[in-house]
Amino acid sequence: MIVEALAEFLTLGELGGVIVNGLAKSALYVMIASGLTLIFGLMGVLNFAHGSLTMVGAYLGGLLMVVTVTGGTAPLTRLGLFFVAIVVVFALLTVLGGAIETTIIRPLYDRPPIYQILLTFGLTLVIEELVRIVLGVYDLQPLSDWQAALATKPQFLREPVALGPVSAGWMSLFQILLGMITVVGIWAFLTKTRYGLYIRAGSEDAEMASALGIDVRQVFTVVFALGIGLAGVAGTLLMWDPTWGASVPLAAETLLPAFIVVIVGGLGTFRGTVAAALVVGMADAVTTWWFQNAIQFTGLPELVLFLVLVVTLIVRPQGLFGVEEVGGH
Amino acid sequence: MYHTLLNSPVSAETQMLLPTVETMVGVLYFGLFAISFDFISGYTGYLSFGHAVFYGTGAYAVILIANGKMPLLGPGTPFMLSLLVGGLIAIVLAILVGLVSFRLSGVYFAMITLGFAQVFYVFVRGWDYVATNPRDGPAVGPSHAEGFQIGIPGIDQLSLSIGVLTGDEIALLGSTLSGTEVSYYMIGLVVLACYFAMQRIIHSPFGRVMIAIRENEERAIAIGYNTYLYKLGAFAISGFFAAVAGGLFAGFKRSASPENSFYFLVTGDALLASIIGGFGTLAGSLYGHLFDETVREFLSKAGQGGGLLPYLRALLGQETLDATLLGETTIGGLIDLLLNGHASLYVGLVFVLFVLYVPDGLLGTLRTRLGGTFAEALPAKLWGDSE
Repeated sequence: MIVEALAEFLTLGELGGVIVNGLAKSALYVMIASGLTLIFGLMGVLNFAHGSLTMVGAYLGGLLMVVTVTGGTAPLTRLGLFFVAIVVVFALLTVLGGAIETTIIRPLYDRPPIYQILLTFGLTLVIEELVRIVLGVYDLQPLSDWQAALATKPQFLREPVALGPVSAGWMSLFQILLGMITVVGIWAFLTKTRYGLYIRAGSEDAEMASALGIDVRQVFTVVFALGIGLAGVAGTLLMWDPTWGASVPLAAETLLPAFIVVIVGGLGTFRGTVAAALVVGMADAVTTWWFQNAIQFTGLPELVLFLVLVVTLIVRPQGLFGVEEVGGH
Repeated sequence: MYHTLLNSPVSAETQMLLPTVETMVGVLYFGLFAISFDFISGYTGYLSFGHAVFYGTGAYAVILIANGKMPLLGPGTPFMLSLLVGGLIAIVLAILVGLVSFRLSGVYFAMITLGFAQVFYVFVRGWDYVATNPRDGPAVGPSHAEGFQIGIPGIDQLSLSIGVLTGDEIALLGSTLSGTEVSYYMIGLVVLACYFAMQRIIHSPFGRVMIAIRENEERAIAIGYNTYLYKLGAFAISGFFAAVAGGLFAGFKRSASPENSFYFLVTGDALLASIIGGFGTLAGSLYGHLFDETVREFLSKAGQGGGLLPYLRALLGQETLDATLLGETTIGGLIDLLLNGHASLYVGLVFVLFVLYVPDGLLGTLRTRLGGTFAEALPAKLWGDSE
């Protein structure tokens, strides 16, 4: 049976479909994880609240879509509104991120890194419960308007598209496109702008950078804010994705894959995060195919993701592109 | 004591403030888990973020043995023995995980232990050998109808059953202890024994090396200690006691699910307890969890023990509750909104405040104030014993 499945797996149509799926998943992973890696790379803060903020982004994005979209609008207008929603959520969460950094993360830089993990962990509890309260007050989730948030997805994104022998979903292509925009955007910001230079200098050696006259404190705030903003963007994107959607448990569901991607890639290296997202996304797509077609074990894709993490840490503790400094932080 | 307070003039206030006995049993076994977490993380400084895997191992081992699904061990195996078996499995597991993980440190160590734990969590959730529906987790089946007995192995007279519905009731000095109360004392005995054992280890030369590793691992190596072996040993010991805690939990509840045993948020709860109680103060974790549970229960839903919500409802009366504040909201609605089932919010806030302003935790701060542990400092303060 395994052999038959393998033969089927290796046909062009199936393999191509898996690759497109894998790329789409990679795109999602890179969007979820890039904020986390920016924050860790510069500040050494492992942000446990990242998943919760992604979840907040998903809800905000959904809310905006519900408010702005009225029935019967053309698909292109809806797509346009979706991008507007992304920008608004990004702006809102960037402000929130800045506020979090200045008020509660800042007093902790002098303490061991463990305290930052603890603090952000506490923050997740608070955020999740606040979201639950807000959802409870407005009775949001069962509302038909809210159900319509999923329906704001233009019809053509639901339909499959044929690329030669490969059949893929428009949604996957859309996600791949957004992922590429994000990666190129961050890369350009880091390497082509003056602020990106400050950030890179700060992650190399914060002390030296501040000695050279860069206001590292301010850079910290900006990066934290941008990282949280990116989490929000990822959340908005997940709102439309049929396998994720907006829900409170989304926080834990996105946090763990984000950790895997960031650690496999090497903590704090953006290049590594992109590479790891590709690895993890492909592993996810391949094992999902095998689970659906040959192997009857429900947790297979999830199990393999964590095995990728464990094996990477055993073989190459610093991650794919990490620097040779085990346990530097 | 408990009954006296409940029948006193301040009974309503007492019921509001004091946790129920069921909660206190939970405080005991989960407190033991938090202590075992603090044993490794608070004393060697290695944040074991996947510690729930040992707790889950203990819980599952007890249930599997009771259901006759563990090879070589029948359903009739004494509970104390199955606790021990669960602990031994956890030791093996801890050594296997530790062999790999202790090559790393800091955040990387936390992440690899989290990774291992999630592998086990996902695996157990999909492993249909343990239960017909592995997602819901196993429960003790009909092959083991009676309660689990805690006592001194070999002497049946000294054993008593634990469990909410299956526990023994005993008459003592004219008052009857309910099944839950008996469970409270019997589980308390095991927890106390485990606590003393860990306390003993911390105060042995072995424990000193653990603290040396936390303070400055390089120096500990330079002195000539093989820190890798010490860390591995401490991890195994901690895993053993975590499994005992999990076994007690399963023995009392008679069921376990992946979510309340193997999931990483279970470790998170132990972390909360340790930080609130004081990181690196063994007993502090128990108090931390007690604090945590008390806050949760104080703010819990109506009908689950005492709590502020039913108390306020009874105190304010219906007319006040129906009074409108702003627009549609009534006072009752507001109280409901802010208090009903949102204890996690306040626990989270308390936790954040503790991390920011009380980094030593409850017990740690007290010790700093007193200038030593309670046992040493309190008599000195009270009777002015100066050295």
